[in-house]
Amino acid sequence: MSNKTPIPDEIYLLCILHNVGATSPERALTFEEILRWTAMEPPKAEQNLNKLVESRYVEVKEVLGARKYFITVDGIRKVLSMYS
Amino acid sequence: MNICMITWEYPPRIVGGIARHCSGLAGALAKLGHSVHIVTLDFPGAPSYEEIEGVRIYRTPIELGHPNFIVWTLIFNHFIEKRVAMLSRDVKFDILHAHDWLVAPASIASKHYLRLPLVSTIHSTEVGRSHGLHNPDSYLIDGVEWWLTYESKRIIVTSNAMKREVEDHFHLPSEKIDIIPNAIDASKYNIPVDRGNVKRRFGIDPSERIVLFVGRLVPQKGVEYLIMAAPKIVERHPEARIVIVGDGWSKDYLLSLAASTGCQHKITFLGFISDQDLIEIMLSSDVLVVPSIYEPFGIVALEGMAAGIPIVASNTGGLAEIIEHDRTGFLAYKENPDSIAWGVNRILSDPGYASWLVQNAKRKIREVYSWDAVARRTIETYERALRE
Repeated sequence: MSNKTPIPDEIYLLCILHNVGATSPERALTFEEILRWTAMEPPKAEQNLNKLVESRYVEVKEVLGARKYFITVDGIRKVLSMYS
Repeated sequence: MNICMITWEYPPRIVGGIARHCSGLAGALAKLGHSVHIVTLDFPGAPSYEEIEGVRIYRTPIELGHPNFIVWTLIFNHFIEKRVAMLSRDVKFDILHAHDWLVAPASIASKHYLRLPLVSTIHSTEVGRSHGLHNPDSYLIDGVEWWLTYESKRIIVTSNAMKREVEDHFHLPSEKIDIIPNAIDASKYNIPVDRGNVKRRFGIDPSERIVLFVGRLVPQKGVEYLIMAAPKIVERHPEARIVIVGDGWSKDYLLSLAASTGCQHKITFLGFISDQDLIEIMLSSDVLVVPSIYEPFGIVALEGMAAGIPIVASNTGGLAEIIEHDRTGFLAYKENPDSIAWGVNRILSDPGYASWLVQNAKRKIREVYSWDAVARRTIETYERALRE
């Protein structure tokens, strides 16, 4: 990977969501679950998640009042582009 | 022959060229009368089993996850290995064919469990993709790639450049490696399109001439050099529009680079688009630029040649073997925006030259890069692996 363009934080977060299997609405994760997997500071995690949702790499669904996050097909492709 | 092909990418799970390569090869092998079984990963919306034109596709769900990518690959390999083992109860495979390091553990385990010869296609190497081995993950991937080449009876690579790279880096005997190029189904591009309508659909003015890039937005693809060439192209050809198709982790960097060129309004990022849209945008384009800094083969160049678009490609790796400079395309200096701009401007300025490149490229596609020819050569490699 190029040293000139470091991988952005939100892409690391996207990778983690992908690798832990949050790739469908049924396997969506709550914000707290994401924090546990990533060990990110809550404000940073929230900022990165919002950016991923805006870019449509992550979708949010409401389950019993809780927001859950999962990555979209475009998000999966974005992650896989790093390793193919 | 009963062929078990193992790959982490297979349509609709399309990341880079591997998915297209595997589906093209599998289809051609099936047409030759072989029984082809693809074991791959699941993908949202795709069935867990289907048969397409004689190719049986088994998509394996990954039932566990892990935040570390390498651990995740080991987990999915475990599920693929289980799927191959289950299948082998019903199908007596003759050969296993792995595609790249990502499926190495499952392929190697299956080889020993089923006592079958393993053939591997090495589409690229970590040392090539990353311009060296700069972190622990890269060392690990490099080691797994070596392991796969060691365990394989025969190795397939798609170009002379890749053969040299694999032979030198993994210290392999030359006679273990076969060069079989990628191919393309050129008939997909024989469709009528209304270029004006296609352009309008993507928000491009019909009077504009498209300078197209297609690929993953990662450093190895060299998109930044096309973006840096944009001002010189637009200055000479104000009717030109740079259209970038694809996505990847360096997209944000490329967007900011485009903004810094002063001609951001002439650069369009389309993101990932469907196969049908890709064919239509190719058929509506005036130049295809392949500015890669590392490219073991460069299947997108074949797609452009089949679509009848003149090509400007970096003089590197497999591209330098596919493209004959000034005959089937224009070879630009690698990592050189001036050279890219020079090639693009020449093609846009000289319709006769552009037409000459296209005619020669189409002829070469017909003669060299057909899936039928590639499938026949792959069977020869399988037969050699079975004999040795």
